[in-house]
Amino acid sequence: MSKEEIVDYKKTKKRLDGRKMDELRPLSIKVGVIPNADGSAYLEWGQNKVYAAVYGPREALPKHTQNPYKAVIKAVYRMASFSVPDRKRPGPNRRDHEISKVLSEALEKVVFVNQFPNTEIAVMVEVADSNAGSRVACLAAAACALADAGIPMKDLVSAVGVGKAFNEIVLDLNKDEEDAPDAVDVPFAIMPNTGEIVLLQMDGLLTRKEWDSVSALGIKGCQQVYEVQKKALTERFTVEELNKKAVEKAVGVEINSNKEVMSEKKVDKKEKEVKAEKKGKEDKAKKVRK
Amino acid sequence: MSKKIVVPGELISEERKRLGSNVFVANGKIYAKVLGVSDVDKDQASVVPLEGKYLAKPDDIVIGVVTRVVFAGYGINLNASVDSFIPTKAMRDQLRVGDVVMAKVESVDELKEADLIFPRRLIGGEVFEVVPVRSPRLIGKNGSMLELLKKGTGCELIIGKNGRIWARNGNIELLKKVIAFIEENAYKSNLTNAIQDFFGVTLEEKVPFNQQRNDNRVESETIEEESEVIDYSNEGELNE
Repeated sequence: MSKEEIVDYKKTKKRLDGRKMDELRPLSIKVGVIPNADGSAYLEWGQNKVYAAVYGPREALPKHTQNPYKAVIKAVYRMASFSVPDRKRPGPNRRDHEISKVLSEALEKVVFVNQFPNTEIAVMVEVADSNAGSRVACLAAAACALADAGIPMKDLVSAVGVGKAFNEIVLDLNKDEEDAPDAVDVPFAIMPNTGEIVLLQMDGLLTRKEWDSVSALGIKGCQQVYEVQKKALTERFTVEELNKKAVEKAVGVEINSNKEVMSEKKVDKKEKEVKAEKKGKEDKAKKVRK
Repeated sequence: MSKKIVVPGELISEERKRLGSNVFVANGKIYAKVLGVSDVDKDQASVVPLEGKYLAKPDDIVIGVVTRVVFAGYGINLNASVDSFIPTKAMRDQLRVGDVVMAKVESVDELKEADLIFPRRLIGGEVFEVVPVRSPRLIGKNGSMLELLKKGTGCELIIGKNGRIWARNGNIELLKKVIAFIEENAYKSNLTNAIQDFFGVTLEEKVPFNQQRNDNRVESETIEEESEVIDYSNEGELNE
Protein backbone atom coordinates (compact mmCIF):
# COMPACT_ATOMS: atom_id res chain seq x y z
CA MET A 1 0.00 0.00 0.00
CA SER A 2 2.82 2.32 0.77
CA LYS A 3 3.93 1.96 -2.84
CA GLU A 4 0.67 3.40 -4.13
CA GLU A 5 0.94 6.50 -2.02
CA ILE A 6 4.29 7.30 -3.53
CA VAL A 7 3.17 6.73 -7.14
CA ASP A 8 2.36 9.87 -9.09
CA TYR A 9 1.92 9.45 -12.82
CA LYS A 10 2.60 13.16 -13.37
CA LYS A 11 6.12 12.56 -12.10
CA THR A 12 6.82 9.07 -13.42
CA LYS A 13 5.37 9.74 -16.93
CA LYS A 14 4.90 5.98 -17.13
CA ARG A 15 2.28 3.69 -15.69
CA LEU A 16 2.81 0.87 -13.21
CA ASP A 17 2.81 -1.76 -15.99
CA GLY A 18 5.03 0.38 -18.24
CA ARG A 19 2.32 1.61 -20.60
CA LYS A 20 1.89 5.14 -21.85
CA MET A 21 -1.09 7.12 -20.53
CA ASP A 22 -3.11 6.56 -23.71
CA GLU A 23 -2.07 3.01 -24.42
CA LEU A 24 -4.35 -0.02 -24.39
CA ARG A 25 -3.42 -3.33 -22.88
CA PRO A 26 -2.76 -5.96 -25.56
CA LEU A 27 -6.13 -6.80 -27.14
CA SER A 28 -6.97 -9.76 -29.29
CA ILE A 29 -10.32 -11.10 -30.48
CA LYS A 30 -11.20 -14.36 -32.16
CA VAL A 31 -14.59 -14.86 -33.73
CA GLY A 32 -16.60 -18.05 -34.25
CA VAL A 33 -15.14 -20.09 -31.41
CA ILE A 34 -18.30 -21.81 -30.15
CA PRO A 35 -19.75 -24.15 -32.77
CA ASN A 36 -23.16 -24.59 -31.18
CA ALA A 37 -23.84 -20.87 -30.95
CA ASP A 38 -25.18 -18.80 -33.85
CA GLY A 39 -22.36 -16.35 -33.28
CA SER A 40 -19.50 -16.24 -30.81
CA ALA A 41 -16.31 -14.45 -29.90
CA TYR A 42 -13.36 -14.92 -27.55
CA LEU A 43 -11.55 -11.86 -26.33
CA GLU A 44 -8.33 -11.38 -24.44
CA TRP A 45 -7.61 -7.93 -23.15
CA GLY A 46 -4.64 -7.77 -20.86
CA GLN A 47 -5.48 -10.35 -18.22
CA ASN A 48 -9.21 -10.31 -19.05
CA LYS A 49 -10.45 -13.40 -20.82
CA VAL A 50 -14.04 -13.33 -22.02
CA TYR A 51 -16.31 -15.61 -24.04
CA ALA A 52 -19.43 -14.29 -25.75
CA ALA A 53 -22.08 -16.41 -27.44
CA VAL A 54 -25.18 -15.28 -29.31
CA TYR A 55 -28.28 -17.40 -29.86
CA GLY A 56 -31.17 -16.25 -31.94
CA PRO A 57 -33.27 -14.52 -33.01
CA ARG A 58 -35.43 -17.25 -31.52
CA GLU A 59 -38.82 -17.46 -29.90
CA ALA A 60 -38.74 -15.46 -26.65
CA LEU A 61 -39.61 -17.60 -23.65
CA PRO A 62 -41.25 -17.22 -21.15
CA LYS A 63 -43.93 -15.81 -23.41
CA HIS A 64 -44.63 -12.70 -21.33
CA THR A 65 -41.19 -11.38 -22.27
CA GLN A 66 -42.17 -11.25 -25.94
CA ASN A 67 -42.75 -7.92 -27.58
CA PRO A 68 -44.81 -8.01 -30.78
CA TYR A 69 -43.02 -4.93 -32.10
CA LYS A 70 -39.40 -5.83 -31.55
CA ALA A 71 -36.87 -8.38 -30.47
CA VAL A 72 -35.74 -8.36 -26.85
CA ILE A 73 -32.03 -8.59 -26.19
CA LYS A 74 -31.24 -10.77 -23.23
CA ALA A 75 -27.62 -10.27 -22.32
CA VAL A 76 -26.34 -12.38 -19.47
CA TYR A 77 -23.05 -11.45 -17.79
CA ARG A 78 -21.50 -14.08 -15.55
CA MET A 79 -18.15 -14.40 -13.89
CA ALA A 80 -16.58 -17.79 -13.43
CA SER A 81 -15.87 -18.58 -9.81
CA PHE A 82 -12.15 -18.78 -10.62
CA SER A 83 -12.04 -15.45 -12.47
CA VAL A 84 -11.10 -13.39 -9.42
CA PRO A 85 -8.37 -13.86 -6.77
CA ASP A 86 -10.86 -14.82 -4.05
CA ARG A 87 -13.39 -17.40 -5.15
CA LYS A 88 -16.62 -15.82 -6.40
CA ARG A 89 -19.85 -17.51 -5.44
CA PRO A 90 -21.12 -18.90 -8.72
CA GLY A 91 -24.66 -17.53 -8.63
CA PRO A 92 -25.63 -14.23 -10.21
CA ASN A 93 -25.13 -11.39 -7.75
CA ARG A 94 -26.17 -7.75 -7.73
CA ARG A 95 -23.26 -6.69 -9.91
CA ASP A 96 -23.92 -9.41 -12.50
CA HIS A 97 -27.55 -8.33 -12.80
CA GLU A 98 -26.54 -4.72 -13.24
CA ILE A 99 -23.97 -5.43 -15.93
CA SER A 100 -26.39 -7.75 -17.77
CA LYS A 101 -28.88 -4.90 -17.86
CA VAL A 102 -26.48 -2.23 -19.11
CA LEU A 103 -25.09 -4.60 -21.75
CA SER A 104 -28.60 -5.40 -23.00
CA GLU A 105 -29.45 -1.74 -23.26
CA ALA A 106 -26.23 -0.86 -25.06
CA LEU A 107 -26.68 -3.65 -27.60
CA GLU A 108 -30.34 -2.87 -28.14
CA LYS A 109 -29.28 0.51 -29.48
CA VAL A 110 -27.35 -1.02 -32.38
CA VAL A 111 -29.47 -4.02 -33.38
CA PHE A 112 -32.36 -3.54 -35.80
CA VAL A 113 -34.75 -4.99 -33.26
CA ASN A 114 -37.86 -4.11 -35.26
CA GLN A 115 -37.05 -6.76 -37.82
CA PHE A 116 -37.64 -9.65 -35.44
CA PRO A 117 -40.93 -9.30 -33.58
CA ASN A 118 -41.71 -11.69 -30.72
CA THR A 119 -38.17 -12.98 -30.57
CA GLU A 120 -35.25 -12.84 -28.23
CA ILE A 121 -31.59 -12.51 -29.01
CA ALA A 122 -29.69 -14.17 -26.20
CA VAL A 123 -26.18 -12.88 -25.56
CA MET A 124 -24.24 -14.93 -23.04
CA VAL A 125 -20.97 -13.46 -21.84
CA GLU A 126 -18.78 -15.43 -19.48
CA VAL A 127 -15.75 -13.96 -17.79
CA ALA A 128 -13.06 -16.61 -17.40
CA ASP A 129 -10.41 -14.27 -16.03
CA SER A 130 -10.68 -10.67 -14.98
CA ASN A 131 -8.49 -7.73 -14.18
CA ALA A 132 -10.54 -4.51 -14.30
CA GLY A 133 -12.60 -3.38 -17.27
CA SER A 134 -14.38 -6.68 -17.75
CA ARG A 135 -17.70 -5.07 -18.63
CA VAL A 136 -16.23 -3.17 -21.56
CA ALA A 137 -14.37 -6.31 -22.61
CA CYS A 138 -17.68 -8.17 -22.53
CA LEU A 139 -19.42 -5.49 -24.56
CA ALA A 140 -16.71 -5.49 -27.23
CA ALA A 141 -16.85 -9.29 -27.42
CA ALA A 142 -20.66 -9.32 -27.49
CA ALA A 143 -20.74 -6.89 -30.41
CA CYS A 144 -18.40 -9.15 -32.38
CA ALA A 145 -20.49 -12.19 -31.53
CA LEU A 146 -23.65 -10.42 -32.71
CA ALA A 147 -22.03 -9.51 -36.00
CA ASP A 148 -20.78 -13.08 -36.34
CA ALA A 149 -24.36 -14.31 -35.85
CA GLY A 150 -25.38 -12.27 -38.90
CA ILE A 151 -27.75 -10.07 -36.96
CA PRO A 152 -28.54 -6.79 -38.74
CA MET A 153 -26.95 -3.91 -36.85
CA LYS A 154 -26.52 -0.18 -37.29
CA ASP A 155 -22.96 -0.39 -36.13
CA LEU A 156 -20.63 -2.35 -33.92
CA VAL A 157 -20.16 -1.35 -30.31
CA SER A 158 -16.64 -0.48 -29.24
CA ALA A 159 -15.93 -0.05 -25.56
CA VAL A 160 -13.03 0.91 -23.39
CA GLY A 161 -12.40 1.83 -19.79
CA VAL A 162 -11.09 5.33 -19.14
CA GLY A 163 -10.56 7.27 -15.97
CA LYS A 164 -8.22 8.88 -13.55
CA ALA A 165 -5.54 7.18 -11.51
CA PHE A 166 -2.50 8.44 -9.62
CA ASN A 167 -3.20 12.04 -10.56
CA GLU A 168 -3.41 11.49 -14.32
CA ILE A 169 -6.10 10.73 -16.93
CA VAL A 170 -5.41 7.23 -18.25
CA LEU A 171 -6.83 4.87 -20.83
CA ASP A 172 -7.82 1.27 -20.08
CA LEU A 173 -7.25 1.04 -16.34
CA ASN A 174 -5.96 -2.19 -14.84
CA LYS A 175 -6.75 -3.47 -11.36
CA ASP A 176 -3.87 -1.65 -9.67
CA GLU A 177 -4.99 1.65 -11.16
CA GLU A 178 -8.64 1.01 -10.36
CA ASP A 179 -7.63 0.54 -6.72
CA ALA A 180 -5.64 3.80 -6.64
CA PRO A 181 -6.69 6.20 -3.87
CA ASP A 182 -7.89 8.86 -6.31
CA ALA A 183 -9.23 6.41 -8.93
CA VAL A 184 -12.17 7.33 -11.14
CA ASP A 185 -13.39 4.56 -13.43
CA VAL A 186 -15.47 5.41 -16.51
CA PRO A 187 -16.61 2.49 -18.67
CA PHE A 188 -17.22 4.07 -22.05
CA ALA A 189 -18.86 2.55 -25.14
CA ILE A 190 -19.72 4.16 -28.44
CA MET A 191 -20.93 3.31 -31.90
CA PRO A 192 -17.62 3.96 -33.64
CA ASN A 193 -19.03 5.24 -36.93
CA THR A 194 -21.55 7.70 -35.51
CA GLY A 195 -19.87 8.44 -32.20
CA GLU A 196 -23.11 7.90 -30.28
CA ILE A 197 -22.53 6.85 -26.69
CA VAL A 198 -24.29 3.61 -25.74
CA LEU A 199 -22.79 2.94 -22.33
CA LEU A 200 -21.41 5.38 -19.83
CA GLN A 201 -20.97 4.84 -16.13
CA MET A 202 -18.80 6.64 -13.64
CA ASP A 203 -17.39 5.56 -10.32
CA GLY A 204 -15.87 8.58 -8.58
CA LEU A 205 -15.73 12.31 -9.19
CA LEU A 206 -14.21 14.35 -12.02
CA THR A 207 -13.96 18.07 -12.69
CA ARG A 208 -15.45 19.42 -15.90
CA LYS A 209 -11.97 19.80 -17.39
CA GLU A 210 -11.00 16.26 -16.47
CA TRP A 211 -14.26 14.96 -17.96
CA ASP A 212 -13.51 16.63 -21.27
CA SER A 213 -10.17 14.92 -21.56
CA VAL A 214 -11.65 11.61 -20.33
CA SER A 215 -14.33 11.61 -23.03
CA ALA A 216 -11.83 12.57 -25.73
CA LEU A 217 -9.52 9.79 -24.61
CA GLY A 218 -12.45 7.35 -24.49
CA ILE A 219 -13.41 8.04 -28.09
CA LYS A 220 -9.81 7.64 -29.14
CA GLY A 221 -9.56 4.32 -27.29
CA CYS A 222 -12.81 3.05 -28.77
CA GLN A 223 -11.53 3.69 -32.28
CA GLN A 224 -8.50 1.54 -31.50
CA VAL A 225 -10.77 -1.22 -30.19
CA TYR A 226 -12.94 -0.91 -33.31
CA GLU A 227 -9.99 -1.60 -35.57
CA VAL A 228 -9.25 -4.81 -33.67
CA GLN A 229 -12.91 -5.86 -33.82
CA LYS A 230 -13.11 -5.19 -37.54
CA LYS A 231 -9.97 -7.18 -38.17
CA ALA A 232 -11.25 -10.09 -36.08
CA LEU A 233 -14.50 -10.21 -38.03
CA THR A 234 -13.04 -9.90 -41.52
CA GLU A 235 -9.74 -11.75 -41.27
CA ARG A 236 -11.41 -15.16 -41.64
CA PHE A 237 -12.54 -14.25 -45.12
CA THR A 238 -10.28 -13.64 -48.05
CA VAL A 239 -11.70 -12.67 -51.42
CA GLU A 240 -9.90 -14.86 -53.90
CA GLU A 241 -10.60 -16.75 -57.06
CA LEU A 242 -11.32 -20.43 -56.68
CA ASN A 243 -10.11 -23.19 -58.92
CA LYS A 244 -10.33 -26.93 -59.30
CA LYS A 245 -7.26 -27.53 -57.14
CA ALA A 246 -8.85 -25.81 -54.16
CA VAL A 247 -11.88 -28.05 -54.42
CA GLU A 248 -9.74 -31.15 -54.76
CA LYS A 249 -7.66 -30.15 -51.77
CA ALA A 250 -10.68 -29.52 -49.57
CA VAL A 251 -12.75 -32.47 -50.67
CA GLY A 252 -9.77 -34.83 -50.78
CA VAL A 253 -9.37 -36.16 -54.26
CA GLU A 254 -11.33 -39.39 -54.22
CA ILE A 255 -10.13 -40.48 -57.57
CA ASN A 256 -11.77 -43.86 -57.48
CA SER A 257 -15.23 -42.94 -56.32
CA ASN A 258 -15.24 -39.78 -58.36
CA LYS A 259 -14.17 -41.57 -61.51
CA GLU A 260 -16.92 -44.11 -61.07
CA VAL A 261 -19.47 -41.39 -60.72
CA MET A 262 -18.01 -39.58 -63.68
CA SER A 263 -18.12 -42.63 -65.91
CA GLU A 264 -21.70 -43.35 -64.85
CA LYS A 265 -22.56 -39.77 -65.45
CA LYS A 266 -21.05 -39.81 -68.90
CA VAL A 267 -23.25 -42.73 -69.84
CA ASP A 268 -26.24 -40.88 -68.45
CA LYS A 269 -25.29 -37.82 -70.41
CA LYS A 270 -25.06 -39.75 -73.64
CA GLU A 271 -28.45 -41.27 -72.99
CA LYS A 272 -29.83 -37.86 -72.21
CA GLU A 273 -28.38 -36.39 -75.34
CA VAL A 274 -29.89 -39.15 -77.40
CA LYS A 275 -33.22 -38.60 -75.68
CA ALA A 276 -32.99 -34.85 -76.19
CA GLU A 277 -32.28 -35.35 -79.85
CA LYS A 278 -35.23 -37.69 -80.16
CA LYS A 279 -37.43 -35.24 -78.34
CA GLY A 280 -36.26 -32.40 -80.53
CA LYS A 281 -37.10 -34.39 -83.60
CA GLU A 282 -40.54 -35.27 -82.27
CA ASP A 283 -41.23 -31.67 -81.38
CA LYS A 284 -40.21 -30.57 -84.82
CA ALA A 285 -42.46 -33.22 -86.28
CA LYS A 286 -45.31 -31.98 -84.12
CA LYS A 287 -44.72 -28.43 -85.23
CA VAL A 288 -44.73 -29.52 -88.84
CA ARG A 289 -48.02 -31.33 -88.26
CA LYS A 290 -49.50 -28.25 -86.67
CA MET B 1 -17.31 -2.35 -58.71
CA SER B 2 -15.11 -3.71 -56.00
CA LYS B 3 -16.12 -6.46 -53.62
CA LYS B 4 -15.06 -6.11 -50.05
CA ILE B 5 -15.73 -7.82 -46.74
CA VAL B 6 -17.68 -5.38 -44.61
CA VAL B 7 -18.78 -5.32 -40.98
CA PRO B 8 -22.10 -3.89 -39.75
CA GLY B 9 -22.12 -0.10 -39.89
CA GLU B 10 -19.35 0.15 -42.45
CA LEU B 11 -19.77 2.77 -45.17
CA ILE B 12 -20.25 1.18 -48.57
CA SER B 13 -21.29 4.13 -50.72
CA GLU B 14 -21.44 7.91 -50.34
CA GLU B 15 -23.52 8.37 -53.46
CA ARG B 16 -27.24 8.04 -53.83
CA LYS B 17 -28.07 4.65 -55.21
CA ARG B 18 -30.83 2.11 -55.31
CA LEU B 19 -30.81 0.15 -52.07
CA GLY B 20 -30.16 -3.55 -52.40
CA SER B 21 -30.44 -6.03 -49.56
CA ASN B 22 -28.86 -5.65 -46.13
CA VAL B 23 -28.05 -1.95 -46.35
CA PHE B 24 -29.46 1.13 -44.66
CA VAL B 25 -29.25 4.86 -45.17
CA ALA B 26 -28.05 7.39 -42.63
CA ASN B 27 -27.34 11.03 -43.48
CA GLY B 28 -27.68 10.28 -47.19
CA LYS B 29 -24.94 7.65 -47.18
CA ILE B 30 -25.31 3.91 -47.54
CA TYR B 31 -24.04 1.59 -44.81
CA ALA B 32 -23.87 -2.19 -44.44
CA LYS B 33 -26.29 -3.82 -42.05
CA VAL B 34 -24.61 -7.18 -41.65
CA LEU B 35 -21.27 -8.92 -41.90
CA GLY B 36 -20.95 -9.71 -45.57
CA VAL B 37 -19.51 -8.91 -48.96
CA SER B 38 -20.36 -5.50 -50.34
CA ASP B 39 -21.58 -5.39 -53.91
CA VAL B 40 -21.62 -1.85 -55.24
CA ASP B 41 -22.18 -1.13 -58.90
CA LYS B 42 -23.25 1.92 -60.85
CA ASP B 43 -26.82 2.16 -59.65
CA GLN B 44 -27.23 -0.25 -56.77
CA ALA B 45 -25.52 -0.97 -53.47
CA SER B 46 -26.11 -4.17 -51.56
CA VAL B 47 -24.43 -6.56 -49.16
CA VAL B 48 -24.41 -10.33 -49.53
CA PRO B 49 -24.53 -11.70 -45.99
CA LEU B 50 -22.05 -14.29 -44.76
CA GLU B 51 -23.87 -15.41 -41.64
CA GLY B 52 -27.41 -15.37 -40.43
CA LYS B 53 -30.60 -17.21 -39.68
CA TYR B 54 -33.32 -17.97 -42.17
CA LEU B 55 -35.91 -15.28 -42.77
CA ALA B 56 -38.87 -16.59 -44.76
CA LYS B 57 -39.55 -14.96 -48.12
CA PRO B 58 -42.47 -15.67 -50.45
CA ASP B 59 -41.77 -18.28 -53.15
CA ASP B 60 -38.92 -19.89 -51.22
CA ILE B 61 -38.68 -23.67 -51.37
CA VAL B 62 -38.06 -24.88 -47.85
CA ILE B 63 -37.47 -28.18 -46.10
CA GLY B 64 -39.14 -28.53 -42.73
CA VAL B 65 -39.26 -31.08 -39.94
CA VAL B 66 -42.52 -31.96 -38.19
CA THR B 67 -42.22 -30.93 -34.54
CA ARG B 68 -45.81 -31.07 -33.35
CA VAL B 69 -48.89 -33.04 -34.34
CA VAL B 70 -52.35 -31.81 -33.35
CA PHE B 71 -55.82 -32.64 -34.66
CA ALA B 72 -55.90 -29.64 -36.98
CA GLY B 73 -52.48 -30.08 -38.51
CA TYR B 74 -48.74 -30.11 -38.04
CA GLY B 75 -46.17 -27.73 -36.63
CA ILE B 76 -43.23 -27.48 -39.00
CA ASN B 77 -39.79 -26.30 -37.96
CA LEU B 78 -38.10 -24.33 -40.72
CA ASN B 79 -35.02 -23.24 -38.76
CA ALA B 80 -36.67 -19.82 -38.47
CA SER B 81 -37.67 -17.95 -35.34
CA VAL B 82 -41.25 -19.26 -35.49
CA ASP B 83 -42.65 -22.62 -36.50
CA SER B 84 -45.02 -22.82 -39.46
CA PHE B 85 -48.27 -24.76 -39.62
CA ILE B 86 -49.62 -27.15 -42.22
CA PRO B 87 -53.31 -28.05 -41.84
CA THR B 88 -54.26 -31.74 -42.00
CA LYS B 89 -56.36 -31.03 -45.06
CA ALA B 90 -53.37 -29.93 -47.09
CA MET B 91 -51.61 -33.27 -46.75
CA ARG B 92 -52.65 -36.46 -48.43
CA ASP B 93 -50.88 -38.69 -45.93
CA GLN B 94 -50.57 -38.42 -42.19
CA LEU B 95 -47.35 -37.10 -40.75
CA ARG B 96 -45.52 -37.98 -37.58
CA VAL B 97 -43.08 -36.04 -35.48
CA GLY B 98 -39.68 -36.11 -37.17
CA ASP B 99 -40.97 -36.48 -40.72
CA VAL B 100 -39.32 -34.32 -43.35
CA VAL B 101 -41.53 -32.12 -45.48
CA MET B 102 -40.80 -29.94 -48.47
CA ALA B 103 -43.01 -26.95 -49.19
CA LYS B 104 -43.17 -23.56 -50.79
CA VAL B 105 -43.63 -20.34 -48.85
CA GLU B 106 -46.81 -18.65 -50.01
CA SER B 107 -46.65 -15.57 -47.81
CA VAL B 108 -45.05 -14.28 -44.65
CA ASP B 109 -47.04 -12.42 -42.01
CA GLU B 110 -45.92 -9.52 -39.87
CA LEU B 111 -44.68 -11.88 -37.17
CA LYS B 112 -42.42 -13.57 -39.76
CA GLU B 113 -44.44 -16.79 -39.77
CA ALA B 114 -44.47 -18.48 -43.16
CA ASP B 115 -47.65 -19.83 -44.75
CA LEU B 116 -46.73 -22.99 -46.59
CA ILE B 117 -48.31 -24.39 -49.74
CA PHE B 118 -47.69 -27.52 -51.80
CA PRO B 119 -46.39 -29.59 -48.89
CA ARG B 120 -44.85 -32.89 -49.83
CA ARG B 121 -43.38 -35.55 -47.61
CA LEU B 122 -39.83 -36.60 -48.42
CA ILE B 123 -39.32 -40.31 -47.97
CA GLY B 124 -35.96 -41.79 -47.10
CA GLY B 125 -32.76 -39.97 -47.84
CA GLU B 126 -30.71 -37.77 -45.57
CA VAL B 127 -31.13 -34.23 -44.35
CA PHE B 128 -28.23 -31.98 -43.46
CA GLU B 129 -27.84 -28.30 -42.82
CA VAL B 130 -25.75 -25.38 -44.01
CA VAL B 131 -25.72 -21.70 -43.04
CA PRO B 132 -29.09 -20.56 -44.46
CA VAL B 133 -27.83 -17.33 -46.05
CA ARG B 134 -25.24 -19.28 -48.00
CA SER B 135 -27.70 -21.75 -49.53
CA PRO B 136 -28.38 -19.61 -52.65
CA ARG B 137 -24.81 -20.37 -53.70
CA LEU B 138 -25.68 -24.10 -53.67
CA ILE B 139 -28.43 -23.41 -56.19
CA GLY B 140 -26.50 -20.99 -58.35
CA LYS B 141 -27.70 -18.84 -61.18
CA ASN B 142 -30.64 -20.57 -62.86
CA GLY B 143 -29.94 -23.61 -60.73
CA SER B 144 -26.56 -24.20 -62.37
CA MET B 145 -24.78 -25.33 -59.21
CA LEU B 146 -27.66 -27.60 -58.24
CA GLU B 147 -27.52 -29.21 -61.66
CA LEU B 148 -23.76 -29.70 -61.27
CA LEU B 149 -24.16 -31.31 -57.88
CA LYS B 150 -26.86 -33.63 -59.14
CA LYS B 151 -24.83 -34.67 -62.14
CA GLY B 152 -21.55 -34.93 -60.29
CA THR B 153 -22.79 -37.08 -57.43
CA GLY B 154 -25.78 -38.81 -58.92
CA CYS B 155 -27.94 -37.85 -55.96
CA GLU B 156 -31.58 -36.92 -55.88
CA LEU B 157 -31.22 -33.51 -54.33
CA ILE B 158 -33.47 -30.83 -52.93
CA ILE B 159 -32.01 -27.65 -51.48
CA GLY B 160 -34.22 -25.59 -49.21
CA LYS B 161 -33.63 -21.87 -48.94
CA ASN B 162 -33.74 -22.35 -45.17
CA GLY B 163 -30.38 -24.11 -45.31
CA ARG B 164 -31.67 -27.68 -45.16
CA ILE B 165 -30.60 -30.10 -47.82
CA TRP B 166 -32.26 -33.39 -48.60
CA ALA B 167 -30.43 -36.00 -50.61
CA ARG B 168 -31.08 -39.58 -51.55
CA ASN B 169 -29.15 -42.24 -53.46
CA GLY B 170 -25.93 -41.46 -55.27
CA ASN B 171 -22.61 -40.58 -53.68
CA ILE B 172 -23.84 -38.76 -50.60
CA GLU B 173 -20.41 -38.76 -48.93
CA LEU B 174 -18.93 -36.87 -51.85
CA LEU B 175 -21.94 -34.58 -51.96
CA LYS B 176 -21.50 -33.69 -48.30
CA LYS B 177 -17.85 -32.84 -48.78
CA VAL B 178 -18.53 -30.71 -51.84
CA ILE B 179 -21.40 -28.94 -50.10
CA ALA B 180 -19.19 -28.26 -47.08
CA PHE B 181 -16.63 -26.77 -49.44
CA ILE B 182 -19.22 -24.58 -51.14
CA GLU B 183 -20.56 -23.45 -47.78
CA GLU B 184 -17.11 -22.52 -46.59
CA ASN B 185 -16.24 -20.67 -49.78
CA ALA B 186 -19.66 -19.26 -50.57
CA TYR B 187 -18.41 -15.68 -50.81
CA LYS B 188 -15.59 -16.37 -53.24
CA SER B 189 -15.76 -15.84 -56.96
CA ASN B 190 -15.42 -18.45 -59.67
CA LEU B 191 -17.07 -21.07 -57.42
CA THR B 192 -19.31 -22.62 -60.03
CA ASN B 193 -16.47 -22.96 -62.51
CA ALA B 194 -14.23 -24.59 -59.91
CA ILE B 195 -16.90 -27.13 -59.05
CA GLN B 196 -17.55 -27.66 -62.71
CA ASP B 197 -13.91 -28.47 -63.36
CA PHE B 198 -13.84 -30.72 -60.32
CA PHE B 199 -16.74 -32.80 -61.58
CA GLY B 200 -15.43 -32.66 -65.12
CA VAL B 201 -18.55 -31.17 -66.65
CA THR B 202 -17.71 -28.67 -69.34
CA LEU B 203 -19.48 -25.41 -69.95
CA GLU B 204 -20.40 -26.31 -73.54
CA GLU B 205 -22.52 -29.16 -72.30
CA LYS B 206 -24.32 -26.98 -69.80
CA VAL B 207 -25.39 -24.23 -72.14
CA PRO B 208 -27.43 -26.36 -74.51
CA PHE B 209 -29.06 -27.90 -71.46
CA ASN B 210 -30.33 -24.50 -70.32
CA GLN B 211 -31.45 -23.52 -73.76
CA GLN B 212 -33.21 -26.80 -74.10
CA ARG B 213 -35.09 -26.06 -70.90
CA ASN B 214 -36.03 -22.60 -72.01
CA ASP B 215 -37.21 -23.94 -75.34
CA ASN B 216 -39.38 -26.45 -73.58
CA ARG B 217 -40.90 -23.81 -71.39
CA VAL B 218 -41.78 -21.59 -74.27
CA GLU B 219 -43.48 -24.41 -76.05
CA SER B 220 -45.35 -26.19 -73.32
CA GLU B 221 -45.72 -23.48 -70.68
CA THR B 222 -46.68 -26.11 -68.17
CA ILE B 223 -43.39 -26.25 -66.33
CA GLU B 224 -43.64 -24.38 -63.07
CA GLU B 225 -41.37 -21.51 -62.16
CA GLU B 226 -39.40 -23.40 -59.55
CA SER B 227 -38.37 -26.11 -61.95
CA GLU B 228 -35.04 -24.31 -61.94
CA VAL B 229 -34.59 -25.21 -58.36
CA ILE B 230 -36.22 -28.58 -58.06
CA ASP B 231 -36.40 -31.33 -60.58
CA TYR B 232 -39.98 -32.50 -60.66
CA SER B 233 -39.24 -35.26 -63.12
CA ASN B 234 -38.82 -37.75 -60.33
CA GLU B 235 -41.83 -36.65 -58.35
CA GLY B 236 -43.69 -39.86 -59.08
CA GLU B 237 -40.87 -41.94 -57.74
CA LEU B 238 -40.66 -39.94 -54.55
CA ASN B 239 -44.27 -40.40 -53.67
CA GLU B 240 -44.18 -44.13 -54.07
